[in-house]
Amino acid sequence: MGQGLEAAIVAVGQSRYVRRPEPGETTHTFIRDAILAALADAGMAASEIDGLAVTSFSLAPDVAIDLAWRLGLSLRWLHQDTNGGSSAMNMLGHAARGVHCGAARNILVVAGDATGLAGYAKIAANYNRATSDHLAPLGHGGPNGVYSLVTTRQMKAYGLEKSDYGHMAIAQRDWAAKNPFAVYRDPLTMDAYLAAPMVADPLTRYDCVPVVAGAQAIILTRPDAARGPHAPVHIRAVRNSFNFDNQRGDGLRTGISTFADDLWEAAGFGPDAIDVASIYDDYPAMVLAQLLDLGMIPDGDLGRFAREAIGRDRRPINTWGGMMSAGQPGGPAGGLNGISEAVLQLQGRAGARQVAGARRAVATGYGMTLYRYGGTAAAALLERAS
Amino acid sequence: MTPGVTVWRCTACGSLFFPRRLLCATCHSPDFAEAQAVAARIEEITEIRHVLGQTHWAPRRLANVRTADGLAFTVGLLDGSQEGEEIALFQDGTAPFGRRLKESAA
Repeated sequence: MGQGLEAAIVAVGQSRYVRRPEPGETTHTFIRDAILAALADAGMAASEIDGLAVTSFSLAPDVAIDLAWRLGLSLRWLHQDTNGGSSAMNMLGHAARGVHCGAARNILVVAGDATGLAGYAKIAANYNRATSDHLAPLGHGGPNGVYSLVTTRQMKAYGLEKSDYGHMAIAQRDWAAKNPFAVYRDPLTMDAYLAAPMVADPLTRYDCVPVVAGAQAIILTRPDAARGPHAPVHIRAVRNSFNFDNQRGDGLRTGISTFADDLWEAAGFGPDAIDVASIYDDYPAMVLAQLLDLGMIPDGDLGRFAREAIGRDRRPINTWGGMMSAGQPGGPAGGLNGISEAVLQLQGRAGARQVAGARRAVATGYGMTLYRYGGTAAAALLERAS
Repeated sequence: MTPGVTVWRCTACGSLFFPRRLLCATCHSPDFAEAQAVAARIEEITEIRHVLGQTHWAPRRLANVRTADGLAFTVGLLDGSQEGEEIALFQDGTAPFGRRLKESAA
């Protein structure tokens, strides 16, 4: 996929994000609310949608076609992704190619979850067969247990201190304070970060994403057919990686390392041209790992990058507050939030958190913890139409 | 709880796996033989102190361990063994556990 791709994101929509849904609020209603917001944002009628992609941990027993039916959408392109934190990025790639190839004119991409805490715990214990057979019986506590070990490994390998991760949590909380959708907006100090209760050593409360209910939606169409009020955001390149190392590595590199050079080359610009980055932040360690793999930490000094680029300079990374402060409505929807934020930034619609003159963004997805770490990774490069 | 953890060795190329695979990730052979991993060295440890939705949770210790053959997997620790220590491996159903070699011998 290169610069000739004829597909653009023209609208975004979001439901409210809540820690505990009200009676009657379900995954389906959050998804509906996000779709209505996206349609309004596009100035588009539901009848104009002829493609739908969805991801959710809690849509079952319904699948994509059930959702189309419930929404009254008659389609000629339909997709459902089940790859956790990279699902949104996968859907973006499939939808972009679908529009580019003429399989559909206007594709709605939606992600949402309302698992509740008990529902999330059940999903975490039965995430896949390896988890239910070999991890859950140990009392691994879901992904926190897995990424606590990865984080310790990263700290040893790169000489990181606990406070290095704190810079990320604090910076993202500062961004979240400017995002009315974020569930946590109060300022966070380093003292509070370091004093937070331990969840799974060395992960403390602020290293772990809060489970919320909510949904996101975006609409893709051909740039030349875009007639909405907002500038189309071009998808310059999308790349994906699945099971790149068969879980035989240490989890400190992601599948992004396999395609980063190709990604930048396809887009025609490099890491230095990025104004805004939405990096999938299921855990701070994985944000640093993805930035490293993207080539955005050229000297490989993760600690210095955390302290200086994120902590001191407030490099625009996860400007919506990230999942760590805005909340994670299931891994799939969290990934779409990062894409949505990049679009808002590039369209100059990010309100108080707007990055001046933002023209190019990178968004990533990472997830599907197969056993010792995630098995999927993806990234997209987005550019505002000039 | 039985001594050793069942792992799988590709009979074509000798690669070791845990959990079990359908095809060898090295040579894609479908043929595996069971083997027993009886000891491993602890590389990282975590203590799971809080679990979502659990109000009466007893903290558990987990470790990433590596066998002498280089196979890495996650075990539950049955004692206070520390990073860098070699532990004896056990299996309870499909779940791998470990404890200090000396205590295991006793």
